[in-house]
Amino acid sequence: MTFRTNYTVNKTTRFRLLSEDQKARIFRGVIKTLNDTGANVHHEEVRDILGKNGCKVDGKRVRIPPEVVLDALASLPPTTTLYSWDGDEEMCYVEPGRSYFGPGPTPPNFNDPDTLERRPYLRKDATTVARVCDALPNIGYVQSLGSISDVTNGLADVYEFADMIQNTRKIIMNWAFSVENLADEHRIGIVMAGGEEAFSRRPNFIHYSEPISPLTSDFDAIGKCLYCAKHRIPQVYTPCCIGGATVPATHAGQIIVAMSESMVGVVLSQIVNPGTCIIIGGVQSILDMRRTIYSYGAPELGIMSAAFTEMLNYVGLPMYSTSGCTDTKKMELQSGIEAAFSIHMAMLSGANFVHDNGYTESGITGDIFQTVMDDEIIGMSRLIGGGVEVNEETLAVEEICNVGPGGHYLYEDHTMKWFRHHWQPTLMDRNSYEDWDAQGRLTMKDRIVNKTRDIIENYEGPASRVPEEARKDLQKILDAAEDRVRSQS
Amino acid sequence: MAVDLGQMAELLIAGKVDEVEKMTGQAIEEGMDPSDILQKGLIAGMDVVGQRFKACDMFIPEVLRSAKAMGAGMKQLRPMLVASGAKMAGTMVIGTVKGDLHDIGKNLVGMMFEGAGFQVVNLGIDLESQVFVDAVKEHKPELLGMSALLTTTMPKMGEVINALKEAGIRDQVKVMVGGAPVTEEFAKEIGADIYGANAASSVDKAKAVLNA
Ligand code: B12
Repeated sequence: MTFRTNYTVNKTTRFRLLSEDQKARIFRGVIKTLNDTGANVHHEEVRDILGKNGCKVDGKRVRIPPEVVLDALASLPPTTTLYSWDGDEEMCYVEPGRSYFGPGPTPPNFNDPDTLERRPYLRKDATTVARVCDALPNIGYVQSLGSISDVTNGLADVYEFADMIQNTRKIIMNWAFSVENLADEHRIGIVMAGGEEAFSRRPNFIHYSEPISPLTSDFDAIGKCLYCAKHRIPQVYTPCCIGGATVPATHAGQIIVAMSESMVGVVLSQIVNPGTCIIIGGVQSILDMRRTIYSYGAPELGIMSAAFTEMLNYVGLPMYSTSGCTDTKKMELQSGIEAAFSIHMAMLSGANFVHDNGYTESGITGDIFQTVMDDEIIGMSRLIGGGVEVNEETLAVEEICNVGPGGHYLYEDHTMKWFRHHWQPTLMDRNSYEDWDAQGRLTMKDRIVNKTRDIIENYEGPASRVPEEARKDLQKILDAAEDRVRSQS
Repeated sequence: MAVDLGQMAELLIAGKVDEVEKMTGQAIEEGMDPSDILQKGLIAGMDVVGQRFKACDMFIPEVLRSAKAMGAGMKQLRPMLVASGAKMAGTMVIGTVKGDLHDIGKNLVGMMFEGAGFQVVNLGIDLESQVFVDAVKEHKPELLGMSALLTTTMPKMGEVINALKEAGIRDQVKVMVGGAPVTEEFAKEIGADIYGANAASSVDKAKAVLNA
């Protein structure tokens, strides 16, 4: 078993947006909102649990007093480890200072890798996304970038996870329509880990579900949250808040609502299973008040996500942030500009899991080419986030004096040792004009397409290493799910 | 002093819901012609709002406030307009289909239609087909709007249309559908009359179909 620090992990330099006083005020806003107004919870069992543990239940409304919130925050785990499905590698640590970037879940469309035109997302795309993400060094965890349209209605989630986990060893963040489907996915995780006991020691996926803004937990979402808590499955419980529409138009107000509605999940999870891993955050952006589009390229997305990250760091919760996404329909300058901004903001804020790298058309079309571009941007951003190392060796005063005025450093041992710390582009063009011309005058878009197609054609993922027995068991889970859906309709 | 309909239009443009409501009441009390109040007060104001929105001088929240003022005025005028047989925008019933909890886009559409003078009945989210059928029977709307934001729930809109047929009331109402993943093509496929890509454009489209 290797316990190496994964190459997709980094420690970031942080910037600060909020003062201590500002954070305290926002947090008091959350406490007051939860205590005075609370949230609607459309799930009887969950209301019972909350009611028996200090919350005030009035019909569907659940008010959470400050001491219950503080108890929940105090019982969060300082760190949680996730493993590759073969159990061989520690893939993610859910802890402060660790940032993992990945794609996002479930857009209806996909940018076809051959035609470069959008079309409904197909089953085969899940495998493509998993393989490409497995190959990309700066992608730290994986989501599907689509919801499968060519399988039985209501099982897109289960097929997606079954296919993806065989094609990447990185942690997958899956989603589900219902608790039944989540249970199927849980079974898939168990099969891949090699048994229930192995899975609970080495969980290999994170589950993603969403409360509704403002201040609502619907039956399926909170049901899934409860299931994860009971089974100690690491989970994300985050809304998509629409600034000015489903939450206030002010950033501080938006963060209060977002944090409050997710806190229902945090409190529930810690009551049910103290120390279980829960991550909050979500998409935080605004409604474009002219075009009524929920913007994935807005600068507000960057600033709110960063501020929210600071807030969560303040209370000891991990942040699920957003970056690398765009409102454009096609790969073009705008997609690069918007992605670069949000990625860099997420990096410097120190968010833990950063999703939607590969979202285009405001979340309507998933695009693996965008993910490949984002991978490069994340690499650049990570270097900047690494800051400047200052110690005896990096100061290099001895070498400076040795070389003296007028010499050069190309022969120096010091250079041999350190130049490889410079970031090397895989997509950015740094050729001379002549080389660029000779190599066919490729644009950024050409290079992204070439690199992506090269991975799709040539990358050997872990699929061949999935044991035959496991493969059969996965098929049985899918067959049983089909039977269930058939019997329900 | 007679109510100044020009001022009413200005107040509507400024989104003063209470004032517009009060002024409409006064104008009615003074015995003004309801069609005049509608045309020279409310609609005159909304026309300017529409122009300013297109010119980027006004934004959605401002438009919706004006729309709300329009609705407040219309609520009082409607019975009188009906009695006098005057031509006016009718009723719209709108809701999000079964299995789908996406709310805000549908609300926006409803609010915009209110601004166009429609009486809007917002049924909510996660609705069984029967709820739509019953609402059409009850409210006899000119327009039925359905929203679906999920590819898995989009087919429910087709099921509602079939349910309307089975109930024998499909011809009584124009069906309009929308939601981020919905396309013009899909709308045709399920036999909807109107596809709306967003709130603002769907009002124009609906008016065109209803006036045809
Ligand atoms: C906000 C949001 C949510 C919120 C909704 C909160 C609320 N109060 O409404 C919450 C968190 C609840 C949510 C939940 C889910 N969501 Co959601 N959600 C979104 C998001 C990000 C924005 C939608 C939105 O409100 N946009 C702003 C409004 C103003 O625009 P709009 O809704 O499109 O409406 C405009 C037009 O479409 C049109 N229109 C809409 N309805 C109608 C009706 C008529 C008659 C007409 C004429 C026009 C019209 O006019 C409107 C105004 O201009 C979209 C992504 C996107 N870009 O659309 C995903 C999205 C729709 N969701 C998605 C998914 C997958 C889900 C979940 C399954 C996630 C999960 N894993 O649990 C759940 C499903 C819950 C359920 N059963 O419904 C997917 C759908 C994918 C697919 N294959 O269909 C999307 C595309 C995101 C993504 N990329 O994955 N979601």
